[in-house]
Amino acid sequence: MPHQSAVTVLATVPPDRVDDVREVLNEANRQGAGEVFRFAEVAGVHFARLVLVPQGPDSTGTLLPPSVVYMSEVDVPPSVHLADLVRRAGDELDKVFAYCDGYPAGGASEGERVAWLRSHRVPCAAFYVNTVGRGRQQMLNEARLREAIEDFLDRHRAELSASSPTRIRAAVQEYVTGREDLAWARSRPASPALRWRIRQAAHLLGVPLGGLVLLPFLVIGLPVWAVLLRWRERRDVPSRERPDRDHVRELASYEDFAAQNPFTAVGAVKPGRFRRGTLTAILFVVDYGVRHFFKRGNLAGVKTIHFARWLFIDGKRRVIFASNYDGSLESYMDDFIDKVAWGLNAVFSNGLGYPRTRWLVLDGAKDELAFKHYLRSHQLPTQVWYSAYDTLTTHNLRTNARVRAGLFGTLSPAETEAWLALL
Amino acid sequence: MVATLDLDDMQGLITRGYSTLRWASFLMLSITDPAGARAALGQLTPRVTSGRAEPSDTAVNLAFTADGMRLLGLETPGPEGFPEEFVSGMTDPDRSRFLGDTGENAPRYWRWGGPATPPVHAVALLYARDEPGLGRLEAEVRQVALATGSLAEVVRLGTAELTEREPFGFRDGISQPLIEGLPKATAAGAGSAAGGEVVKAGEFVLGYPNEYGLLTDRPLLPPPHDTAGLLPRVPGGTGADLGHNGSYLVFRQLRQDVEAFWGYLDEATRRPDGSGDPDARDALAARMVGRWPGGAPLVHAPLRDDPALATDNDFGYFATDRDGLRCPLGAHVRRANPRDSLDPRPGSAESVAIGRRHRLLRRGRAYADGGPGGGTERGLHFLCLNANISRQFEFIQHTWLNNPNFNGLYDSPDPLVAPRRNHRSTFTEQAEPLRTRRLDLPQFVSVRGGAYFFLPGLRALRFLCTATGEGGQR
Repeated sequence: MPHQSAVTVLATVPPDRVDDVREVLNEANRQGAGEVFRFAEVAGVHFARLVLVPQGPDSTGTLLPPSVVYMSEVDVPPSVHLADLVRRAGDELDKVFAYCDGYPAGGASEGERVAWLRSHRVPCAAFYVNTVGRGRQQMLNEARLREAIEDFLDRHRAELSASSPTRIRAAVQEYVTGREDLAWARSRPASPALRWRIRQAAHLLGVPLGGLVLLPFLVIGLPVWAVLLRWRERRDVPSRERPDRDHVRELASYEDFAAQNPFTAVGAVKPGRFRRGTLTAILFVVDYGVRHFFKRGNLAGVKTIHFARWLFIDGKRRVIFASNYDGSLESYMDDFIDKVAWGLNAVFSNGLGYPRTRWLVLDGAKDELAFKHYLRSHQLPTQVWYSAYDTLTTHNLRTNARVRAGLFGTLSPAETEAWLALL
Repeated sequence: MVATLDLDDMQGLITRGYSTLRWASFLMLSITDPAGARAALGQLTPRVTSGRAEPSDTAVNLAFTADGMRLLGLETPGPEGFPEEFVSGMTDPDRSRFLGDTGENAPRYWRWGGPATPPVHAVALLYARDEPGLGRLEAEVRQVALATGSLAEVVRLGTAELTEREPFGFRDGISQPLIEGLPKATAAGAGSAAGGEVVKAGEFVLGYPNEYGLLTDRPLLPPPHDTAGLLPRVPGGTGADLGHNGSYLVFRQLRQDVEAFWGYLDEATRRPDGSGDPDARDALAARMVGRWPGGAPLVHAPLRDDPALATDNDFGYFATDRDGLRCPLGAHVRRANPRDSLDPRPGSAESVAIGRRHRLLRRGRAYADGGPGGGTERGLHFLCLNANISRQFEFIQHTWLNNPNFNGLYDSPDPLVAPRRNHRSTFTEQAEPLRTRRLDLPQFVSVRGGAYFFLPGLRALRFLCTATGEGGQR
């Protein structure tokens, strides 16, 4: 049984070839990302995207090169995924990466391409998974199960609605049992592999132990850090930039086709080692938090995010944030402001131009429009995007899982009623 | 702190819906000659009703589309200007997709405001106590506005005499936010039932703090503009505040297929022997709406209409009806105003506070027009005011009404007003032990026209009519 992985492949594009790559991505968008890259056939893909990170300045004004980035959330190890992807859509990947330095196109073997892609992988600084261990196949199966049960209830509503909850559930059980194709529903979903769970447990304990060792340094260091932080916060200049109209229109042209949307943004880290160090530490804490605590459908109050990742690029001078979320960007940003502004502030206030914060977590995103302008300005068009379940929200997926979990096994009368209320 | 509202500078539609002026019409205008239009509008300006006193006989309000503002000589003034959704307008293709204005709702089929009809640059909103009074007002306004030919009438949208019911037969306009700082809101007071409806003025009027305690973006003009000093200055700056006391008016003509609605309900509730069941029909209608035709909310009157609760607005969903057993989770009123059912802590004051950032001042009027072929088209001229179109109107439209996954549902856009598009549209009545699903719901409401307008403050209106031109005015 899987645990989900984040795959990121990033390759620099020669500036004079950016338009060519953009055209390749736009063409894939026109034909449909799923059709072109056959993501449905690639094992365990939840979401996938290709974006162009434009040439842009770091905090000192030095231009950083443009790059093309492939990102996906998958149920298999990243190297297995890349090999599978090359097998299914090698020719299409060739078009995307053709202009990148050293890409083995033109007659090269699959193995060489896979090796090149693997060598261009970028690790995540932090990776949030809505529900750890719930694989794509499980989600698709559970969606099918729920629909089958709903249809059954529709057909037999007249006779069933006079029955007790227990009898109704028994009728559903009998129906599902009689369906060969739903036989899997009789057992519980498998847990992630034991080795992986042991590693997670070691991480869960190891990090606080390491912190304990560092405690004396932290006790001395934290007050100094706080003073330095506050001093910098007062000096940092928030950007007053409003997103360019054409930019906003381009972003809008890729949004709101499905129940979910992709969000991709890039920003320069504020100058100096202090901010770089602070951001590295914060993302380390975020990673720890999402790995061990926010892994059951709720990211500090926000329940609508399927996946999110933060990663450093360009030698930690820029950061990419990418997520898949339910609903519109407006509702997503409102959720950020209303529910988890402190968390956003802790990370993004290390980014150049972010609205002014106090003590790292206060204010910042609470300046509604400044925050929304900041996000829109840093957002990148996600030209190519694929979702394996584009009509299902996190809420739906959770309901589906609960329908399956409560279908067989022993339930009390109250639990039986609650289970029926899911349908 | 409660902001003091400058009622003399606000247009009256912000502070009241003119419920005593039961007749109304809306003249959509096109500017053919900007200089002449400024002069004509300038003559009309003294007739424009302010928010101070309740008008006794007639009221006139004026609003402009982004194109209208441009034609009046106001190029979008750089970054400090109008928000993108106003500038690109309601019919921008990506916005149409966002709002559900596709398929039969697409702007190309609209009666007005779409690409197939003459451009709309301004709207004159006219209200009168009786029908003859409205006729006289219209004649007077047309005389002033249209005489020189610099403004043309694109379409006149008439309304039916104002009643409490919308065309499907339901009491409408029961839940309405109260603007903090207005006497009504002060009287309602904090803590009382109506106190929960009090919303910061900045959610509806530009220039006042909103529910975040901040000023919403508004059009500010840099120094070369307004040398005459007609507009208020930005505090601490040199710019002139064109937005002050203004608002955004969302206008949508919504056709309501009354026969299809009740016909569907009749069919859906027939007894096994094929005979009609009026009680079941009305109950299903009420569950789709979330209130009975008389107005009583299902949360308090789950089984039958109750005249005593006709204007009852003192309820939430979380404590009494979390599972939708009284008022279905997908019912219209539960979407348009989810009250205390919003994440992250449903049932809390925080949940209600989040909801307050998504409220609208509704100012709609029903209409009944003789359509082609002698049939009567009925519907609603949906008008609403807000300070941030994307956080208020568009959010409600997309995230709540049209959202097929609202409240954790599947394939379930608003049963009453949402377009069906390619979704399978389902309406579920939650019940114990077993829910009832209504599959493949037809569409009952379609869009026939629409535009986003800016409803300026009165000083801004005078500025627009007199000061922006470089000459060529009288």
